[in-house]
Amino acid sequence: MKHAVSCLLAVLLLYGHWSPVAAEGPPAEPLLSDQAEPPEEFFLDEEEEVRAFDPIEPFNRGVFWFNDKFYFYLLKPVARAYRVVPEPARVSVSNFFSNLYTPQRFVNSLLQFRFRDGAGELFRFVMNSTIGILGLFDPARTVAGISRKDEDFGQTLGRFGAGGGFYMVWPFFGPTNLRDGLGGLVDGFLDPVYYFDIKAWERFGIKALDTVNATSLDKDTYESIKEEALDPYVTIRNAYSQRREGLIRK
Amino acid sequence: MMGKRYGVLLCVPLLVGMLSIAPAGTGPLEQVRVTVDEIITILRNGQLESAVKREKISAVVRQKFDFRAMSQSTLSTNWRKASPDEQARFVALFSELLEETYLRRIDAYTDEDVKYVREDIRDTRAVVDTVIRSKTADIPVSYKLVLRSDGWRVYDVVVEEISLISNFRSSYREIVQKEGISGLLARMEEKIQELRSPVSVEGAK
Repeated sequence: MKHAVSCLLAVLLLYGHWSPVAAEGPPAEPLLSDQAEPPEEFFLDEEEEVRAFDPIEPFNRGVFWFNDKFYFYLLKPVARAYRVVPEPARVSVSNFFSNLYTPQRFVNSLLQFRFRDGAGELFRFVMNSTIGILGLFDPARTVAGISRKDEDFGQTLGRFGAGGGFYMVWPFFGPTNLRDGLGGLVDGFLDPVYYFDIKAWERFGIKALDTVNATSLDKDTYESIKEEALDPYVTIRNAYSQRREGLIRK
Repeated sequence: MMGKRYGVLLCVPLLVGMLSIAPAGTGPLEQVRVTVDEIITILRNGQLESAVKREKISAVVRQKFDFRAMSQSTLSTNWRKASPDEQARFVALFSELLEETYLRRIDAYTDEDVKYVREDIRDTRAVVDTVIRSKTADIPVSYKLVLRSDGWRVYDVVVEEISLISNFRSSYREIVQKEGISGLLARMEEKIQELRSPVSVEGAK
């Protein structure tokens, strides 16, 4: 879930297209009339190209539009106001949440037989919860040099061969796909906040704080994409897919 | 005997000559390090006006990035369908767009520490892995390079698993499908104008 949120913030993540690539038969004889040109080279990293399957694109584009408004008219202004909180404090809030979500990363590392990563997460949790004062600081990374390794149930499914399924954009949560959406639901049970004995609105408040805090630390990634991309929807869809496939491969 | 000795002596200037032609550290990693450091130094220079900064960085980038290869790779199969004239226009427009995009991105991370992790060379291709150490996380950034007669040139940048080129390719392909190459070129021109104009687009649309 947390991941879905950060995706909405469009931390550069997202997927590829479904545009039916017309099967082109044998490539039309390239008439390289311009002899001054260097020979055509194909940088065939292209072969592994990730493409999103997006059968409900019109619907997704609608939700994308909604999320865009939500971001610019509510989330971002709130995050901007929240920036009165000094940055070091906001970084600590971010560290705290990151530490809190250790179970998700730990369990999914183990499920994928990535025992080193699991051990790393455990080490990080112990160190950051004690020396790092309840996770407010991240000495495990800054001092011991062990970085967080993001794992979630979507990746676990992918690791065992599950494809992404179709791409979808959720209101508020942003880009996901069938596999990662289901994975997010499972990860919900690994989220300690779920087990807190608190009211629903309090739970919502905690998530809202996490989201606003993360947005306040983001360097306007979504704004950049909005400004630079010819079609931000496709740019984000492709980024999401590439990012997810990359995480699964790693 | 004398001949042998002299032979060795003769070799010395040759060796020295070779060393100076290929100074230690022209490997891809070193080249990326030099380039990125150079750009960051320019960015951090508080005395330069931003237009001057722009120009200086542009000069560095144009020297180290292979925009033609990037263009081919981005257009992919559509490259062949484009006329030489369209190809040339695409390369020119795409270079500008990329520069703009890359600069904005790197601009945001001026204060962060960059770590150069490793290089992986295969024939004339190489991948250099770097990590930007931000305040909250480590962001992996890899550069893909190709060896040209004048050294290694970057042809793709991969940030957090996301290849810039393959990302461009995905949206450009859709636009070419719907509007043709001329439509794509027109939209790129428009976008460059937009990015150059000082008015921020934020909140617009």
